[in-house]
Parts: sequence; structure tokens; C-alpha cells
Amino acid sequence: MKLISKLTLFITLSKLAIVLLFVLTLPYLIGGIARTYTDYYLRQQQEKVLDVVSKNGVESYLQGEESYGSYTMLKEEYISLEPVAKGFKMDTIYTDERIIEQDTLNYRVLTHSFPADSGTYLMEVGKTIDTIDQYNRPLQRIATYVLLALILITLVVDLFYTRYLLRPLGEIINTKIRNRKFPFNENSIPVKTSTTDFQYLDTSLISLMQQIHEAFEKEREFTANASHELMTPIGILQNKIENLMVEQEVTELVQLRLIGMQRTLNRLKRIVHSLLLISRIENEQFSKKESVTVAELFDDVLDEINHRLSEKEISLETKLSDHLLLVNINRDLLFQLVYNLVNNAIRYNKSNGSIRIWDQLNPDGSYGINITDTGIGISEDELGTIFNRFKKANQSEESAGYGLGLSIVKSIADYHQIKIGIISEISKGTTFTIAFPEELVGSGELRMES
Amino acid sequence: MKVLLIEDEKTLAYEVEAFLKKAFYICDLAHTARKGLEMLGVNPYDFVLLDLGLPDLDGLKVLQEAKKLNPDAAYIILTARGNIEDRIVGLDLGADDYLPKPFSLLELQSRMQAISRRKFNVNTHELDLGEFKIDLQKRIVSHSGKEIDLTRKEFDLLSYLLLHKNRVLTRMQLSEHIWGTFADDDYDSNYIDVHIKNIRKKLSAFGPVEWLETVRGVGYKIRK
Repeated sequence: MKLISKLTLFITLSKLAIVLLFVLTLPYLIGGIARTYTDYYLRQQQEKVLDVVSKNGVESYLQGEESYGSYTMLKEEYISLEPVAKGFKMDTIYTDERIIEQDTLNYRVLTHSFPADSGTYLMEVGKTIDTIDQYNRPLQRIATYVLLALILITLVVDLFYTRYLLRPLGEIINTKIRNRKFPFNENSIPVKTSTTDFQYLDTSLISLMQQIHEAFEKEREFTANASHELMTPIGILQNKIENLMVEQEVTELVQLRLIGMQRTLNRLKRIVHSLLLISRIENEQFSKKESVTVAELFDDVLDEINHRLSEKEISLETKLSDHLLLVNINRDLLFQLVYNLVNNAIRYNKSNGSIRIWDQLNPDGSYGINITDTGIGISEDELGTIFNRFKKANQSEESAGYGLGLSIVKSIADYHQIKIGIISEISKGTTFTIAFPEELVGSGELRMES
Repeated sequence: MKVLLIEDEKTLAYEVEAFLKKAFYICDLAHTARKGLEMLGVNPYDFVLLDLGLPDLDGLKVLQEAKKLNPDAAYIILTARGNIEDRIVGLDLGADDYLPKPFSLLELQSRMQAISRRKFNVNTHELDLGEFKIDLQKRIVSHSGKEIDLTRKEFDLLSYLLLHKNRVLTRMQLSEHIWGTFADDDYDSNYIDVHIKNIRKKLSAFGPVEWLETVRGVGYKIRK
């Protein structure tokens, strides 16, 4: 889930929860406020009555009667006075239910005893609170509407602000992470933001990429320089051996030794050649403006490699769209890529095994060529590292290889943005799939399924 | 044939010189570009072997200058840089061939021979080989006028051995010539043996091929 979605969701839910809590507690709040106000009102009424009593005497209410009681017209309030035993003390406010003329009414009742004239009187002042409860429901409803509307407004504001706030983060992700290709050749422009966290993230990413880029450059430069420097001494040694071989004094034994030396030297030469080739590919020193048909490509490779097939008595079956044209490629490099894969399919095959080469057009528009062998296979934990330099799968095998063949394949594929897939099963065989992106697939009919 | 080798790496230059002398070339050495150009101004040469990585002048500039001084010579560029661009520019500037370092001396000689045939029209197109005739230009092997069908690789092998006649060529040297950088590392395998066997089989139907010798443990040679 994206950060902005998470934030929005959280803000919405927390606001809703608070509003719900408020709306639910609203009756109690209102009840509390109403009670406090009613109690205050009742005390004022009490003061008034006591005022009248102290001025005019209790008789002004009783007027000769034993006790006094009076309701307002709608029975919202009442007052009563009655004599109680001398010394009786009471002063409370409570809620009580009264039945008056068949109506059950809830009253807030104040009772207060006071001495007057010769006796002690108990005063009761009451006020209905049913009217208060009647307001609760509509109040709750209105509060809910108002608050929901407020939530909506604040949500919109929040959403815009968080979006604005998080925009630099999106920009960092897009410019620094998502659309960057190893080894980060092009320069990075810092993202404009006043948020220090994002600034920090951005500059850290830039400096990290810079470091990666520099390290990669250094390695590339070193490989290229070292390889070049190695070429001359290798050449000198090779020529010295060649000259030595035809010297009169060289015995047969020495000659055999010289051949051994030549062989070792040649191995060195091939390693340096391969490293140099990889570094040249990584330096993008090859043009990609050529084109080749699938048939030409494979014919060239098979022409070079046929003798190996027949030596190991491996049968080869090809089903390819011969006339399909691959464009924007480097022919030599593509040859090398296919050559290395087919060569591996032979090298790691068993005698009398088979190799199947076929193609297909993928749903995403890319064109895939599959090379399947019946060889020794590659174990799962080795699959991840087989493209690494000097990493040779199947260490136990006697076959000589320097583990650069697949590195070259990888470099060439990366250079052309060709995707490589591998499916392998130990002692069953391996399938390499090279998928050419749509841009590399030119005109030409795809082979019809026969 | 007179050869000028402009190469700053002295040890390498001496080896090339020694080899070329044995192959009956007359060889002069120059270790700097200036010295090389100086010598080119004074003496006529048939071949100029030019290292591109000279310390005093840019190799491609040297080539341009040299072509002005001696336009008739054949130029072979030797370089450890091995850039594709260098190669294209070099050939555009009029170099006749391009040999990336490290190179085999046998390969160098083979290239020089090819240039001689092409450029100087040296009459070595047709060579005798026992009862056979080899036409290097048309790439044909024949026996008393009858053409013998050899594959491209078989012909390459035969002509390479013939060019370096009386010299044992190892399987590695042969496969490097034929497969170039694609020559694999398993020289013990019998690809070369198979090809030689095929050549012998095809030729011996017409006449004796005892001139094509197997040197046990080493390789093959043509004795003449």
C-alpha cells in the first residue's frame, strides 16, 4: 500500500472514530449541562422564595392553609411548602418521577428545610427535565451531519496537503530508483524539497549512486587497462615460444614442453581477451545499428560449431523463424552470445544427447529463442551465480572453462536489453531463453507452428 | 621484401625481426614514430608494420604521414588497443590489414603473404605440392587439371601448413588460425585431426600425400 493511501486511510478512520465517540457521548454531555443549569435555576428559585418569606413571612404563601402548592400552567414547574417537625434538616436536589393528572413526569426536585415564624417548613421546588431529553435526538443527528461534513472538508484539505508534502518522495523514487539503470551513468539532479528528511534521503541516494558509479568505473577502467597492459607481454612470450620452436637445438622433449607453455599462455590470452571484451561491451564501444536474420545468425554459429556437435554425436533440432529480422543489434556480439550458449549446450551435454532450438513470440511483443540441452543441468543454488565472472557451474566436471563465457553472454544481453531466462534440472538438462525486446524485432514472418 | 617495423616494445620488435629474417624478409626496426618516419623518408619499404600505441606520436597520425612518404608500401597495423573504431579508422586511412596484439608470428606472415599476392601481384598464386597444385587466389586444389573438392576450413588448414612448410604447426596454432577467437581451449580434442584425416582421404584418391606429416605429440607439417 502506498504511503499516501495509508495516511489517508488512517486520518479518515481516526476522525470517524473521534466523531462517533463524540456523538455517542453527546446525550450524557447535554444531560450533564442541563442538570447543572436546572440545579442552578432551582437554587435561584429557592433564594427568591426564602427572600419573600423573610420579608413577608411564611403566611404570605400559606394564607392560613396548612401547606402551599402551586403548579405552572403546563406543569413544567411547581413549588410546595409544608410544615415539618422542628429541627428537621434537609437540603438535596434529586430526580424524581411524579404522576400528575395521569401524566408521568420526570422532575428535578430541590428540597430545602428552613425555619420560619414559629415552625420549620420544608420547601420543594421542581422542574421537569423531559423537555431536555426531547432535544437530544435531533441534536445528535445534527451534530453527526455537521461533523461528517467537517470531516469531509478537512479530509480534502489533508489529502491535498499530504500529497503536496509527499510529492518529493515520489519524485525521489521515480528519478533515483525506478528509472535508473545500473551503473547509474547519468548525473542526478537533487529533488527540490523543504522537508529535511527527504533532502537527506535524496542526497544520501545521490551520493550512494555516485559511489557505485565510481566503483564501477574504476573496475571497468582497471579491467581495460590491465588487459591492455597484459597483451604486450603475452604477445612477447607467444612470439618467443614460436621462434624457439623452430630452433635447431630444441629437442623433441623441449618442444613438447614448449607446447605446454604455449597452451598455458593461450589460456591466459583467452582470459584477457574475454575480460577486455566484457569491458568493451560495458563501455558501449560497439555499434548497435546492424541487423541479421535469425537464419543467418544461427547458420553462422552452427557453421563454426558443427564439428563439436559431430564429435560428441549430439543431435540438433532447430525450429526457427528463419526470415525474422533482428534489428538495432551488433552482429558480432549477437553471434558471440548465441555461440557461447550453443557451445555450452554442447560442452555440458552428454554423448548422444540432443539440443533443441526453437522460438516463440511472447504476449508482450518480445521474441524468444530457446536453447534446450540434455546435459548435466545446473543446481538451483548455482543458478543465481552462473553469470558471475570466473564462476563455473559444475566445478566437478572436467571440462575446461574459465567461467567467462556466460559473463560475456550476460554483458551482451544487457547491452541489447535482451532478457535471459534459465530453467534447469540436474542431470536432465538446461533451457536458456533469450528474449529480444520488441524494439529489436524487425520485419519478417514468425514461423508458423507446424 | 623489405619490412619496417615501428614498435616501441623492444623485446617484441626483436622477436618479430628474428622471425621475419628467418622467413627471408629484410627487416628494419624503429622504436619511435619519429625514427620510423625518418627511415621511411630515406628508404623504400614493401611492408610497414606499425604499432598504434607509440609513445611520441598518435599511431593513426603516423599512419597518415607514412602513407604520404611511402604510398606504395603495404601497411599492417599492430595494436593492443583493439578498438573497433581504431580498426575502422586504420583501414579507412589505407592500412592493408590490422592485427590485434597479441598476435601469432605465423598469422602475421600469413597476412603478409596474402597482401603480397593481392597487392604486389607476386606470382605465388599457384604452388606445387607433390603431384598437386594449389591456387591460393582461386582457392582451388587440383591434380593434373582435375579440381578436388575441399571445404573452406580444409583449404585454410592446407594453405596455412603450406605457407609455413617445413615447420611443425601445433594443433593449437592451427585451430587458432581457423577458428580465431572462437577457438576453444580443448586442443586435445581431435577437430584438427579429423580435418587432416579428411584432407588426406580426399587427396590420396588422386595421388600420394606423404608430404603431409604427422609429428607425434606436436602437430602437423608439410615437408617440401
